Amino acid sequence: MTGLAAAGRLLRRLLARRGAVLSLAFLALVGCAALFAGLLPLDPLRQSIADSLKPPSTEAWFGTDELGRDILARVVYGARTSLVTAFGAVFIAALIGVPVGLVAGFYGDWRDSVLMRCIDVLLALPNILFAMALIAVLGRSQGAALVAVGVAGIPSFARIARAQVMALRQLDFVTAVRGFGGGPGYIMFRTILPNALSPLVVQAIVLASIAILLEAALSFLGVGVPPPTPSWGEMLRTGKSYLYEAPTYAVLPGIVLTLTILSFDTIGRAMTALIDRDETDAVRETAGGRR
Amino acid sequence: MTAYILRRLAQMLPVLLLASFAIFAMIYAVPGGPVAVIVGENASQEEIAAAIQRYGLDRPMVVQYLDWLGRALTGDFGLSLHSRQPVLQLIGERLPATAQLALAAIIVALVLGIPVGIASAVKPNSWLDRVLSGWSALALGVPTFWVGILLILLFAVELRWLPSASRHVPFWESPFEALRSLALPAITLGLYVSGILARFLRASLIGESRSDYVRTARAKGVPENRIVGLHMMRNALLPFVTIVGLMMANFIGGAVVTEAVFTYPGLGRLLIQAISTRDYPLIQGCILVILVGYMLINLLVDLLYAWIDPRIEYR
Repeated sequence: MTGLAAAGRLLRRLLARRGAVLSLAFLALVGCAALFAGLLPLDPLRQSIADSLKPPSTEAWFGTDELGRDILARVVYGARTSLVTAFGAVFIAALIGVPVGLVAGFYGDWRDSVLMRCIDVLLALPNILFAMALIAVLGRSQGAALVAVGVAGIPSFARIARAQVMALRQLDFVTAVRGFGGGPGYIMFRTILPNALSPLVVQAIVLASIAILLEAALSFLGVGVPPPTPSWGEMLRTGKSYLYEAPTYAVLPGIVLTLTILSFDTIGRAMTALIDRDETDAVRETAGGRR
Repeated sequence: MTAYILRRLAQMLPVLLLASFAIFAMIYAVPGGPVAVIVGENASQEEIAAAIQRYGLDRPMVVQYLDWLGRALTGDFGLSLHSRQPVLQLIGERLPATAQLALAAIIVALVLGIPVGIASAVKPNSWLDRVLSGWSALALGVPTFWVGILLILLFAVELRWLPSASRHVPFWESPFEALRSLALPAITLGLYVSGILARFLRASLIGESRSDYVRTARAKGVPENRIVGLHMMRNALLPFVTIVGLMMANFIGGAVVTEAVFTYPGLGRLLIQAISTRDYPLIQGCILVILVGYMLINLLVDLLYAWIDPRIEYR
């Protein structure tokens, strides 16, 4: 069975779990909000000082912020910021991490030592610290936040890909492809990678939850996505200054952020459990990642 | 033992050297390079020439690095661009605050996490286990900064029991004031860490409960609390300590965020301020100090590991 078919089967079995279904439904809601934000009658940037710091009402369901902007509108557009940053970061992490892990595990010689020592250095810094250092260099922008979060995610992909290759490279089907004259590149990317897909997909989902958290944390610290772009972390940061005047300001965006993170995490853990149950020990060792 | 510690310290060296080079090279990646960092982007030709002369910026990069490293090793990280004070002095002022917060948070985490972990492992899949496991999943999944905000809303805004912004009060000067100031940040950070402790302690205790020695002890009629407390705990602590060591990175990240929530004057906030004012010598100093601290904590965890399990030899 190819990796893609296995992933499809995994998805069907995931839908049998209540927590995972609720999480998927919530993420679908957030995803639609992010995609179709432009179609909704919401403006995240329109200011009206006279209406600042209003509590939730029928006009503004989540209330208004210190500049009189609609908080719900900013939460909806903030979903776009969060998801774009998270998916972009996961993409960067996979794009660099997977080939690094494949090459390191496939050859297992000096290339392995050199590449994995570099990964160790990346791991030596707590990821938020690493992201902050990178932003200090690149300057504060959404792109910088995306790259910083992405680079911090490289080690997890590299380690899983490496473990997968090492488990698979001695198996008969790989030997067969080698016998037919398949080169190293072909074996790594066309033979081994499709069979190592499910733990990598699970890792992508787990990493998405970490990436959303990390982006929000950076914005909360004031070094992430710069204003006026709506971002959940930035909203919590400003909301914190108005806890006495408008307590809902910091609470409501926080609920959406937390549910999004928990949803990704729930799905990731449910998938890990499903894979654990029916795949080999090699997979079991790596699929959970660092969580 | 001493030889083991020395050997572990020696193993830290290459990573530390590479990381310190990356931290040093940071300012070369900034647009305009180190000159722009020192004199600003709109400096005149004379100012630029003077800075190059004064700081020896025309020397090869490796020479500059060795020079910087040599000075860093003697505690000279240069002057903060912003306040013109020595970086080491600024860091030294903040370090006790961070250490006090970290210690308080670890105490909160142990007090909350270990009983929860044991209670949910004793009867796996019971209602108590489900409640406690759900609780530790929440402690782990809910962002630290939002937990902090909720705690401020409850204890400072609504109940008015505790201050919403925390100062650093040394514990031995005024224990009551120190606890009042530390309570919310320590609970915020400790709650998160307790989630980690509880989840992994549960997993590792359940793993042990299936071993032969536990069955033998039960057959001999050893009381259940003795089996858990004496026999299983000792063995379960091993995998548990490893995981806790791996999680130290999250702890440090959590500390940086917690300090920001409570405007607590620690190292993390110093670093954030340094980044927003683009104060590169201070950024370099903060990151290097935090990195060294992180590696020392990991070393400590390793030593703890060997102390728990006498079978491990210091080699």
